[in-house]
Amino acid sequence: MDLHCQMIIDEYLENRESFDKIKEILVEELNKIIKELGLYVVAVEARVKEEKSLSGKLELKGYKYASLADITDIVGARVVTFYIDDVDRISALLEKRFIIDWENSVDKRKLSNNEFGYMSLHYICQIPESLYYDPEHPEINETKIEVQLRTALQHVWATINHDTGYKSDIEIPAKFKRGLNRLAGLLEIADDEFKTISDSIDMYRSEVAGLIKDSRFEDIELNGDSFKDYIAIKPFESLSKKIADVNHAELTESNMQRFLNVLKWLEFENLGQIEDMRKDYEEDAYRLGKHQIVGRDIDILSESIGLQNLCIIYILKHEGREQKLKQFFDKLNGEKPRNIKSAERIIKEAKEINII
Amino acid sequence: MEIKKQKEGTNLTINLAGRLDTTTAPQLDNELKSVLDGIQNLVMDFEELEYISSAGLRVLLGTEKVMKKQGQMVIRNANDTIMEVFEITGFADILTIE
Repeated sequence: MDLHCQMIIDEYLENRESFDKIKEILVEELNKIIKELGLYVVAVEARVKEEKSLSGKLELKGYKYASLADITDIVGARVVTFYIDDVDRISALLEKRFIIDWENSVDKRKLSNNEFGYMSLHYICQIPESLYYDPEHPEINETKIEVQLRTALQHVWATINHDTGYKSDIEIPAKFKRGLNRLAGLLEIADDEFKTISDSIDMYRSEVAGLIKDSRFEDIELNGDSFKDYIAIKPFESLSKKIADVNHAELTESNMQRFLNVLKWLEFENLGQIEDMRKDYEEDAYRLGKHQIVGRDIDILSESIGLQNLCIIYILKHEGREQKLKQFFDKLNGEKPRNIKSAERIIKEAKEINII
Repeated sequence: MEIKKQKEGTNLTINLAGRLDTTTAPQLDNELKSVLDGIQNLVMDFEELEYISSAGLRVLLGTEKVMKKQGQMVIRNANDTIMEVFEITGFADILTIE
């Protein structure tokens, strides 16, 4: 190694601790940005270039760098996201929080029409004094650092492409290069599709919320999203309260989402059918609940009691009730031999108050 | 009510015998408060428990909330009378009953 390169290495070794500090500040700020945006990302990675790696770089193209300050990837970080638009959301905040060297920052996602390959957003930036300042270490603010933002699929392609062992694209034999480029195109489409699906889910959820708000229950398919929103408007609360009032009991919170499985098993397809069940059987569900607790030392009930009794009445009013009631308890509380006894007890109680 | 405790590392089994009601529930509550620290698996064995009232349900509910943060609570061998209470109160789907 020539003297010039050795001087750069010496400068690197002298500042090694500061580089570690820069890395720490960078990772902390990137994580803060991600948290503020409410995002869930695949990874936030950071590293300080190892001396060996720097030596290799200098041996190849040391003539390009007048000093260590010209090497902008001594400290580097990478954020790998799930979705393409997450890259844009993170970049928007990153541009506000760091001093960006626009001349050297590159959006490598902007490829020409017939180009398929590496895609990533690269920033060269510095830590502003507003983020960190130590008068004894001005190099922390002066050092140029690199931040890469890309999606998981862009990361997969870049990693595999790098793993081929060829140091640059021009070294790759044409037949392999074509294969890699075809894959880059495929992954680009997949990224777009994931974004489309994610946007559609968001749109669907807001549509469902709107339909529930307008009480258009018959138009809403029963699924995890719709049931969660439906439960949020507490459609069974008045029934549960009415049952609880029999004993001046309090209601305790319960995971109502567990009933989705039961309602699906009962072949409810939309929220309108559940609303019909609620209207048709509310009185009988109350009478059953009252019959079960009146005069007993019970002053606390699960908030799910209303829905539970509605399902029981629904089953009692349909064919095969004994077996179906056993299966109901199997679904709700797990399979147990004693569930048949519970089914028999409920049929007896329902007969006592002329529900069946 | 009789309370027997068996602890093995982070596993704790509590055997209850008698009636868990307004009179005895505070006793169980106090016992549990002193032993739950560091427990990851709590088994409440009701083989010899004859009866449970709302006061007992409240202790179970409070214990379930504590155990949810640090591990799990399972209720075993509940008799038909107790199971009926769990079912008609809707507690059967709040508690983990084996």
